[in-house]
Amino acid sequence: MRNVLLIAELSLREATRKRLVSVLLVLSALFLGFFLFGVYRLELTLDQRAIDAGLDGRSPTGAANLPVMFSALFGMYLVYFLGSLMGVLSTVGAVSGDIENGVMQSVIARPVSRAQLVAGRWLGFTAVNVAYVALLAAGLLGGVRLITGYTPPEALPAVALLLLAVTVLTSLTVLGSTLFTTLANGIGVFVLYGVGFTGGILSAIGTLADTPTLTTLGRVANAVMPTNALWLGASYHLQPEIMRQVGEVSRGANPFTSSVPVDPLLVLWAAILAGLGLAGAMWRFSRRDL
Amino acid sequence: MQVPPYAGRMSEAAIDTRDLRKTYRGRAVVDGLTLSVPRGEVFGFLGPNGAGKSTTVKMLLGLVHPSGGEVRVLGGHPQDPAVRARLGFLPEQFRFQTWMTGQEFLEFHGRLAGLSAAERRTRIPAVLDEVGLGGRGHETLGGYSKGMLQRAGLAGAILARPALVFLDEPTSALDPIGRIEVREIIERLRAQGTAVFLNSHLLSEVEQVCDRVAFVKRGRVLTQGSMRELMGGVLPVDLRVNTLAGGLLDTLARLGEVRRSDTNTPGRADVELWLTRDDQIPAVADAVHAAGARLYALTPRRPDLETMFLDLIEDTPEAARSGAEVRHA
Repeated sequence: MRNVLLIAELSLREATRKRLVSVLLVLSALFLGFFLFGVYRLELTLDQRAIDAGLDGRSPTGAANLPVMFSALFGMYLVYFLGSLMGVLSTVGAVSGDIENGVMQSVIARPVSRAQLVAGRWLGFTAVNVAYVALLAAGLLGGVRLITGYTPPEALPAVALLLLAVTVLTSLTVLGSTLFTTLANGIGVFVLYGVGFTGGILSAIGTLADTPTLTTLGRVANAVMPTNALWLGASYHLQPEIMRQVGEVSRGANPFTSSVPVDPLLVLWAAILAGLGLAGAMWRFSRRDL
Repeated sequence: MQVPPYAGRMSEAAIDTRDLRKTYRGRAVVDGLTLSVPRGEVFGFLGPNGAGKSTTVKMLLGLVHPSGGEVRVLGGHPQDPAVRARLGFLPEQFRFQTWMTGQEFLEFHGRLAGLSAAERRTRIPAVLDEVGLGGRGHETLGGYSKGMLQRAGLAGAILARPALVFLDEPTSALDPIGRIEVREIIERLRAQGTAVFLNSHLLSEVEQVCDRVAFVKRGRVLTQGSMRELMGGVLPVDLRVNTLAGGLLDTLARLGEVRRSDTNTPGRADVELWLTRDDQIPAVADAVHAAGARLYALTPRRPDLETMFLDLIEDTPEAARSGAEVRHA
């Protein structure tokens, strides 16, 4: 365990020293500022309209506040998307990068087992990616709350599902970096990410058109790559009752949000997949020639 | 300093391989390599490019999994972290985390090797001084020159007071002064009882520091032994005459082995002849006189590693020609 923590610490210091963390923080602050400025202007407009209509303020859970609810929901979609992008890009060379630039040889010649090394890399990168998504989500939801006074109904379970999604993505990226070159891994994980999104689209169309084959295909894609299904689960928690009703009326013709909660089995499977990714990476790297 | 896990078995060789093999996609890179390196000696591992030297070193360090055969390092298996705790390694491609300072690099490797904080505090400045990087430890490795990086790698290799150090081309990026310094470091390691496995193309360097050498070709050991054992038996002689007419070359071929003959310059012929005994030298002079040729030079050379290397490894044009004749016959 000492070696795992040492390698994890190294990965964290590497992320800080290579300016990964500072670039991320600055760009994320810019993103949040940009987005929240839009929310601020929206709030001003809505207030003005309410006054113009002679109304005495707006109900935070009523239909009049739907634009704010949508901004919080799709703001969180951006958090999920940026978190996934950052998770893949930061982790894509976690193991392969060190093999390719020759750093790995002198490290592996030390009394550290290869499984420990992979576990340490995973721990370090998961910590960075999870902290990033948590920070971004807190910044976005906190900002929206400060400006509009609105908070999505079940923000905590939603954020927890997003953190699980980024953990799954990190595990699969670490696994890929023990199997492929950095470039091939990056391409592969993005294709997988696309498979997850495809699953969401197929399921949505399948439900809308009442086509069981499409729904089954969607379910397969979600099992292969559950990140999008986790996002859809999170989106359910982020919608007040009124938005869910809108979703039900449209019979789910929207692949970005869901009006039903996520299947607990899928959450369990996602957690298992994250563990399998890590275990597979540890196993594969232990058997590989350097 | 932690207790060496194999201290009780000091009699065992530092490295022992039997019929070690590594095949990549059906092609044998290391093909039945049997090698023994005693403890506390400096061992030179020589061979042409592509002979399987680096793959062998990687198998000895547990970086590459053998396809067959046995390997024992310091009495154990290199896959065992306890064995690797007693090894030092300077890779041929000395690439390290460029964002670290020299000090942090050694700190990291010291922690990986299991050195305590107190040991690291005394040992890191000591090895930095030893490799000539004293006072440069606070600079990042990204700003080091190639030679400095190689010195930093060497510092890492000797940091944890290993019982066996692998140096893969340790002076490839160093200037002549740096090479002499590395030679002194190797000699100091030997004085401390550390075995050194030296992979180098610089034969003069190997000749000066190694107690024993092994020659490898196509993944097999052609010969191994102490320098004295290997150097005996060959006496290279350079001969210059005005002509090889009158069957002189055939006569010389009966006295020893003709390694090279050059008749490109008119009125001059150079021959490199390998004899086995001193008393054959006058016989060469007699043969020249008997053939009616005029003798310009007859110079015995001290046998060196280069001679041996060429003898064992290289298919010289002369050897290829005589080989072809044998096949014709």
